[in-house]
Amino acid sequence: MPGLSPSPAPASEPPMPRPAGSHATRAELWLAIHLPCYILESLHRAAESTADGGAPPVAVVDLERGARVIRACDATAAAAGIVAGMSLNSALALLPGLQVLARDARRERALLETVATSALDFTPRVSLDLPDGVLLEVRGSLRLFGGVRRLRARLQERLQSLGVEPCIALTPTPLASLWLARAGEQLALRRPDVLPGRLARLPLGCTRWSVRSLQSFATMGVRTVGDCLRLPRDGLARRFEPRMLLDLDRALGRAADPRAAFVPPARFAARRDLEPEIADAGRLGRALAPLLDELCGFLARRGRGIEALEIGLLHRDAPTTRLRLRFAEPVMQAGRIANLLQERLARIELPCPVRQLRLRSGPLVEVRESAADLFVQDRRDSAGVPQLVERLQARLGMDAVHGVSLVPEHRPESAWQKKNENGDAALFHDRKRAASPWLPFPDCPPRPLWLLAEPQLLEGGEAPCYQGPLEMEEDPERIESGWWDGRDVRRDYYVACTRGGMRLWIFRERRAGGRWFLHGVFG
Amino acid sequence: MAERPGIPTGFATLDRCLPGGGWPSQGLIELLTDHTGIGEVSLLMPALARLCGDEHHGGWLAWISPPHQPYAPALAARGIDVRRLLVVRAQPAEWAMEQALRSGACSAVLGWAPCRDRQSLRRLQLAAEQSRCLAVLFRRLRNGHEPSPAVLRVALEGTPGGLEARILKSRGGHATSVRLGWTSATSFSPAN
Repeated sequence: MPGLSPSPAPASEPPMPRPAGSHATRAELWLAIHLPCYILESLHRAAESTADGGAPPVAVVDLERGARVIRACDATAAAAGIVAGMSLNSALALLPGLQVLARDARRERALLETVATSALDFTPRVSLDLPDGVLLEVRGSLRLFGGVRRLRARLQERLQSLGVEPCIALTPTPLASLWLARAGEQLALRRPDVLPGRLARLPLGCTRWSVRSLQSFATMGVRTVGDCLRLPRDGLARRFEPRMLLDLDRALGRAADPRAAFVPPARFAARRDLEPEIADAGRLGRALAPLLDELCGFLARRGRGIEALEIGLLHRDAPTTRLRLRFAEPVMQAGRIANLLQERLARIELPCPVRQLRLRSGPLVEVRESAADLFVQDRRDSAGVPQLVERLQARLGMDAVHGVSLVPEHRPESAWQKKNENGDAALFHDRKRAASPWLPFPDCPPRPLWLLAEPQLLEGGEAPCYQGPLEMEEDPERIESGWWDGRDVRRDYYVACTRGGMRLWIFRERRAGGRWFLHGVFG
Repeated sequence: MAERPGIPTGFATLDRCLPGGGWPSQGLIELLTDHTGIGEVSLLMPALARLCGDEHHGGWLAWISPPHQPYAPALAARGIDVRRLLVVRAQPAEWAMEQALRSGACSAVLGWAPCRDRQSLRRLQLAAEQSRCLAVLFRRLRNGHEPSPAVLRVALEGTPGGLEARILKSRGGHATSVRLGWTSATSFSPAN
């Protein structure tokens, strides 16, 4: 049977034969989430934070050809006669108390991603349909959730908890589901053969084809998907965009409709406008709390933690103040992040008031399991070390805290290393303990407990002095090493005692001059 | 209140002078000295090595604002597990020391801090009292004349060939004086 639909086509030219094969695999069931009020919902949080007392009617404006135009409004504003597309001035004339918010594309995208991320709890196959749709392939999840009805109810509940009012439709093809959802027809059709009949009633607007095409259709008297399906294929292909034919085939499952999988963002980023601006660093902690809650919700949903967090404090007349927090181990608890943040906020000085807060997490990482030790009461709380390290680093700076390690080297200054110089606090986790401390040179003569950062030249020429004459022990230790890297040493080390009872580690250079240096103190 | 047993100092003569048979494991210990290098840290080494070796108590050793860099090879040679060392450069050191004591993660906290006001000294003593760890504060000899809430205060002075430890205050014990002599560059022996 030629033609796009069973109805006879009043065509002068013979319609194209139906494309071979049906591409919609029986196995697929696509659920579409359409967010009719996404513009308003994306700004919901901002609206809340600015509203004092009773909620005034809200509208969102956007710039269009230099004029401010209403894009969306809430029910109160709509009841007063405000509609999308109206200029801001007309809207304010209708409703002087209207609260006006600026549209924020970034927030809209973030809202959609939040919805998609929640959708990942229902199925691994999720894709975005910008700007206001999310698609879920749910065939494989039906059994787990106990059927379409229950899955839908659970999803609906979840989305409402996110503060959005979705329209949900389910069919074997992604496009048909989207069209139904956009048209507000919250159906669940599981068989592909009922699609043409159901889609036929939909107004063409739900296809989101270009305004020009839709207008020319309207002049032809073509107003529904069904009208369009009755048109001859090749005429449609010739006179309109090729995309339309493809869309029709895809909606009916006659052409493949591959969808890019949604990959949840690898990091968390959020922002919050402050109204009024905050000038007191002490109050920033509270202002940041909702963002931290959001962050921790994000982390909890993924079961992952973060090791770094960047906070940007935006000012009107000064460059952004940036705070970087590093955690000694992956964290996901709001309390711990807040504690560290408080420590940092106590140290900053604001150049001028803060008008916006931005939060950006480092990459997400696995959180280490810490098994609570129930039975050994007296055991040290090793888990406390990373927290101690991060608290110290937050207040004192990254370089203020370090560990040490041994290096198998004969040159005294190279025989040890600072650990954690670059703030890699993960080094403080090592709970594994070797049976005995590892010693590169177990038989070497005693070393001083304190080493000077740089050898200190001693006065006195042949008979070196340090707080008076020194009494030297016999048997110097000769250290000659490092000729290969240009920092070679040729020294004779002595243990020397001062009159005050200090025991020093001094050496004489084995070069011309033979100067004496103090290198360590026995402590 | 039952005192917890002390941590053996490694020097029998000194242990006999201390009420718990060693360094108190609760409360602040003050070591007073005007010189670095007379053996003031060596005095603690046997106890620190013992804490490191204890599988159950094996916590971290925090060194807060030491006068020089603690030298890892020397520490390792005396039985310290250097992987458990935490060196902190802090100004003021009192705050960092209190944090280390309160963290519950350290089995010993050594701090070099002047502690000019009594308030911070009291806070450290309180933190040390609650922490079950060896808490040692190094101060100057002249601070010995000022009152202090520490449970043990020892003035250290270098002598030719040894170290003299004068116990100024010891909760539950009595003031006395012990002389320790060097057996090698790194360790003492009690001189009677």
